[in-house]
Amino acid sequence: MDLLQNLGINGKLLLAQIVNFFVLLWVLKKFAYKPVLEVLEERKDKIEKGLKDAEKSQKKLTEIEEKEKKVLKKARQEAQRIIGKAEEQAKKSGEGIIIESKQKVEKLVSDAKKNIREEKQKMLTEVKAEVIDLVALATDKIVGEKINEGKDKEIIESMVNKQ
Amino acid sequence: MQISLTPELITTIGGFPITNTFLMTIIISSIIITSSFFLNKKTKESKTKHKPKGLHNILEYIVEALLELVDSITGDRTQSKKFFPYIATIFIFIIMSNWIELIPGLGTIGVNKIHNGETELIPFIRSNSADLNMTLAIALIAVITAQIMGVSALGFKKYSGKFLVNPFKKPYFIGTFVGLLEIISEFAKVVSFSFRLFGNIFAGEVLLTVMLMLVPYFIPLPFLMLEIFVGFIQAMVFSMLTLVFFKMATEAH
Repeated sequence: MDLLQNLGINGKLLLAQIVNFFVLLWVLKKFAYKPVLEVLEERKDKIEKGLKDAEKSQKKLTEIEEKEKKVLKKARQEAQRIIGKAEEQAKKSGEGIIIESKQKVEKLVSDAKKNIREEKQKMLTEVKAEVIDLVALATDKIVGEKINEGKDKEIIESMVNKQ
Repeated sequence: MQISLTPELITTIGGFPITNTFLMTIIISSIIITSSFFLNKKTKESKTKHKPKGLHNILEYIVEALLELVDSITGDRTQSKKFFPYIATIFIFIIMSNWIELIPGLGTIGVNKIHNGETELIPFIRSNSADLNMTLAIALIAVITAQIMGVSALGFKKYSGKFLVNPFKKPYFIGTFVGLLEIISEFAKVVSFSFRLFGNIFAGEVLLTVMLMLVPYFIPLPFLMLEIFVGFIQAMVFSMLTLVFFKMATEAH
């Protein structure tokens, strides 16, 4: 007991210190630790959620980008296809027009040729008839009389045709 | 200059001795209680509107850092939450007690009293860590709480099995002897806890007082720095050792 006295240990003070510590413990637990830990936990949850959300949106963004790329590629292919088709068609129709016009021209030419031939034939026959008449008239005048109208014509015709 | 191992009595209220260290305990406790009320208010406010800032941030940071420290030893959140209030309170209370000796006026401001027929200055400021009543109180609380934690975690039978080993079962008398040593070590813990803190802070206080008396200017500065460091280290050692004892008590062999 003397030792404790010398060290300044006093039962009343010791008890007071113990009580003081428990009061502090209670106050801190109730007013400091509990609310702060709750807030910290909440904040942690919030941050975690935020991070997760960010990750999710990033993933979605890349997905959308990929989709966009795919759609663009498809569209480009489609466009290419359409252009090709159009070109082909244009080529085809152009060829058709050329052929048609060629045919038309040919037909026109052949028609013209035929006409000319016919005209020539007609003229020839007409000329022949005229010639025969003229020759018959001339012979008439030279000979002075008609031998035979029918005969004359026959002879002249055969002569003209002989040539 | 008078250096006394025991705290000096200032006055007595209704038969209760008010020593200078007890006065400091009351002051420190009121500071801690006020801060915790402030923290509580600010925390409630921060839930709805403001972001934490200034002092609120600092106090919050202290709580968080202490929790992480406890986590690093226990490695288990639920256990940390159980230990945390004790460890944090011990740390906060002891570090405040240690640092109060750094307040100017140590050993100089006080009342004159007649002691052993001589007039003597009784200083108001004396770190309550330099009072065995306080260190012993906290050491007792730490060690007894460790026993309670052990019993609640392992059950009474298993926990007492650490100390009381049947001499007719397997490691025989060696086991019994080890158990006996364990019992002694529990008491030794109380002594080592209380005297370590008391010795460090009392020595620091004496050092500061002596330095102040010898060379009042500039020379005490490095010692003040040293005392800041020692105060922190001692608070850390006390709370970490308590934490380790808690952890050891809750673990089966």
